[in-house]
Amino acid sequence: MEYLDEFFNYISSVSPSKLVRVFWFFFFFEFVRFFLVDFTTVLLWKITAVFRKKRVKEGRNLFWAEKPLISIIVPGKNEGKHIFKLANSLKEQTYQNFELIVIDDGSDDETKSICNSLKKNGLIDIFLSNDVRGGKASAANLGLRYSSGKYIIHMDADCSYDRDAVENIIVPFYYNEKLGAVGGDVQVRNYRESLCASLQAIEYTDTISIGRISQSQLGIYRIISGAFGAFKKDALDSVGGWDIGPGLDGDITVKVRKMGYEIHFEPTAICQTNVPVTFKALTKQRLRWDKSLIRFRVRKHRDVFYPNESFRISNFVSFVENITYSLVLNFKWYFYLIDMVLNYTSRLVFIIPMNFILYTINNYFKFIVFSLFRERKNVKAEYFMLYMPLMALYFGYYLRLVRTYAYLQELIFRRSYEDSWNPEKSSRQAKSLKL
Amino acid sequence: MNTSTENIKVVDHKINYNNLVFYVIDTTNSILNIDHTMGYDALILDASDPEYARIVLKKIRSHYNPEFYLKPVFLLNFKETKDPLLNNMHDGLMTSYDQVVSMSEVAKRIFLKTTQLDNQLIPSFEGQTVKKVLNYMYTRDIRTLKPIVDLNSSIGYTYPELSINFTNTEEPQVLEILEWADREGLIWPDFYERVYLCNNCNSGALSYREVCPHCNSANSKSEDLVHHFPCAYIGPISDFQNNIDSSLNCPKCNKTLRHIGIDYDKPSVIHHCNNCDQNYQDAFIKSKCLSCEDDIDVKYLVPKTVNIYKLTRKGRSAATSGFLSSSLEVDDIFGTINMQTLRIMLHYELEKVKESPAQKTSIALVHLENIFELYNKIGKKGERKLLEELVAVVRENIKSSDVIAFESSSTLYLMLTNTTSENAEQKLMNLTALTENLIKKNFNSFKVNLLYKVKMLDANKKAEVQLQELSKDFFA
Ligand SMILES: [Zn+2]
Ligand SMILES: [Zn+2]
Ligand SMILES: [Zn+2]
Repeated sequence: MEYLDEFFNYISSVSPSKLVRVFWFFFFFEFVRFFLVDFTTVLLWKITAVFRKKRVKEGRNLFWAEKPLISIIVPGKNEGKHIFKLANSLKEQTYQNFELIVIDDGSDDETKSICNSLKKNGLIDIFLSNDVRGGKASAANLGLRYSSGKYIIHMDADCSYDRDAVENIIVPFYYNEKLGAVGGDVQVRNYRESLCASLQAIEYTDTISIGRISQSQLGIYRIISGAFGAFKKDALDSVGGWDIGPGLDGDITVKVRKMGYEIHFEPTAICQTNVPVTFKALTKQRLRWDKSLIRFRVRKHRDVFYPNESFRISNFVSFVENITYSLVLNFKWYFYLIDMVLNYTSRLVFIIPMNFILYTINNYFKFIVFSLFRERKNVKAEYFMLYMPLMALYFGYYLRLVRTYAYLQELIFRRSYEDSWNPEKSSRQAKSLKL
Repeated sequence: MNTSTENIKVVDHKINYNNLVFYVIDTTNSILNIDHTMGYDALILDASDPEYARIVLKKIRSHYNPEFYLKPVFLLNFKETKDPLLNNMHDGLMTSYDQVVSMSEVAKRIFLKTTQLDNQLIPSFEGQTVKKVLNYMYTRDIRTLKPIVDLNSSIGYTYPELSINFTNTEEPQVLEILEWADREGLIWPDFYERVYLCNNCNSGALSYREVCPHCNSANSKSEDLVHHFPCAYIGPISDFQNNIDSSLNCPKCNKTLRHIGIDYDKPSVIHHCNNCDQNYQDAFIKSKCLSCEDDIDVKYLVPKTVNIYKLTRKGRSAATSGFLSSSLEVDDIFGTINMQTLRIMLHYELEKVKESPAQKTSIALVHLENIFELYNKIGKKGERKLLEELVAVVRENIKSSDVIAFESSSTLYLMLTNTTSENAEQKLMNLTALTENLIKKNFNSFKVNLLYKVKMLDANKKAEVQLQELSKDFFA
């Protein structure tokens, strides 16, 4: 009780300028970037939707008139049990002129026999199997090598797709011919399974979906999710398909961008995925994702910062934004922490809860405001209200710690080359060639 | 015995020696009608022309009459051939007529053994065939039936002693008969080899090949898939090849592939169909039957074990003391009863006849004399079908109180109630015509010899005795 009194006394006594001084990290970075910028661009996107409408409609008509062959590539190891469901659900798609290519990357379970029988029954068009695992990138490349579609869609075996997802992810190519790739919206299917999954569901709807709409608007959208992405076959061929790396997602997008193509996020092309249900599994996944930022932005594709002939301002901005907000801010947060500890030692007991309150208010506000922009929700917004206060901990501490750990590991030890996500033989080669 | 070789002379194809008459068959005999060799003790077959010798030997050994199939046959001027029949079904090789001396000893031993044979008739095709083989084996001191590789046999193997009774394409039936003899406990199997037969025509002459799962064409090109680790490119090896030298270059990153396992590997193989242009990895293995030209998925081939068979104790004694076939597979044909039930029914019928002597009941035996020639061709399944149709025809023409019982697949009994022997005779004449017609129509104009005998039930004799008498009268 006494504490609460003191807390409110402290909060009410600080002047606005002092407030900004003490909570500078929140006001200058988090609030500006993740709220103001996102909010403005998404709002703009909503307003301009009226003008886009005609273009989109024409694109859709053009698409249906042409009815291009689409190759759906599903690479994976030991995914047999999921493939059956996926192949069956794809029969429900509004657009049916596709070939389903499944690549088995050295499975050691019944995947091979399941897929062979699916192929016999016409549910799979091409099934190729590697006896030895080569990694997800090479599996996807094998699919690409034997595909004959004009567009390639990359899917994950354990995801499911809205009836119109295939149609919606391809249509943008028909109203913007500069596009090389389109990313679909990934939602969390198993959000009820655990607290961890629920928190991720909020993260996906808020930061990821909304963030991507805004990035796409700004022309700095950079990660096409491996679970659902569409590419012009020409674009993929010209960059030689996927390279090895800690994730398929980010790297290919950068390569396509470098070729001069534009990238688009399509919020109506919806895919549902299962996220890790334990914090342990989530940590493992995020460590892998975060390491790829260092490996791909800072190392492999550092040439986007160089003013050479392939320089493009949007690539530059995308990278700067990404590196600033992920890498620099991550470490800047520790400066903030040190700043507070050194300069406001006695006030820490108030500052930490206040920070928490600020973030939570921001999160609620953001969630409610952005709810207005979401066209299709897989969950009622109320479901998440209860979890919202935890998001401050999830974003502010959990994800930040994981990220810090990943960055340090990768910057100092280049740990991603030891990731079991790739077979050891590929990683060894990649490391020695500095890829 | 003191005999010199000087008095061995061939006179008019005959050699008289040691009280035996050897008949010489060579290509100058226009015969090939085996009946001409009747009465001679042994045959000397000139094998200079193996083709000719084979035909004659087969005629002799496949004859149904022991007078012929057990006759000692010696081959003159025999040269090693690949023909298992010629190699195995003779009793000795001669290079000159002088060897008649030693051959006469061989012949005498065979005669001695022949006299010990039991002449019982086995009431089934399998039984008759097996008994014949057992007789031959006994007189030649053969204890095992050994399969021999034979390109002419439709299953690739032949059992000379048994197979000689069949044509090359009937070889699968040889396996059926061996299985039957195994079930009867006459022979004991030891695994020798496994063969796969066409599920349509039972031939083992199959050509296996990998075919496209989409169009079944074998016209395909196979290539290794190559995975270049540094850039994750993966494609068929032709993507990496060039026209100038044998080096492999990555089409994605242009690097030269150096060392398998280090910078690249070959994770699998891919086939390209030249017929339908599809790519596939899971090639089907199909086997084309070279005899009926069916293209069969290998999993539908019929696997058969080719065994070495040794005679069991029962099998060894069967030649001299006969054997009882334990399983009559004709028992369960719809509309018939078995012999046991027939005896019981006859017993009750006799009681009735005793009580009211006015009531007349007849029994009849029907025998399809040459039906085994047909069974031989149509196999076990065909045999069963024929018998089922036969029963259906008979049933249509007798009363519901009448019964049919098979004793074997060539012999059946009828019990005709309220029927005098004259009526029964009349009925059977009709049935004979109907049956002969049925078989002629359904089995390629095969003309069956149907014989029958009718007898009125005698109230004062036991049923068992009356059946025996009927059989005795008939076969005597
Ligand atoms: Zn390469
Ligand atoms: Zn084909
Ligand atoms: Zn066949």
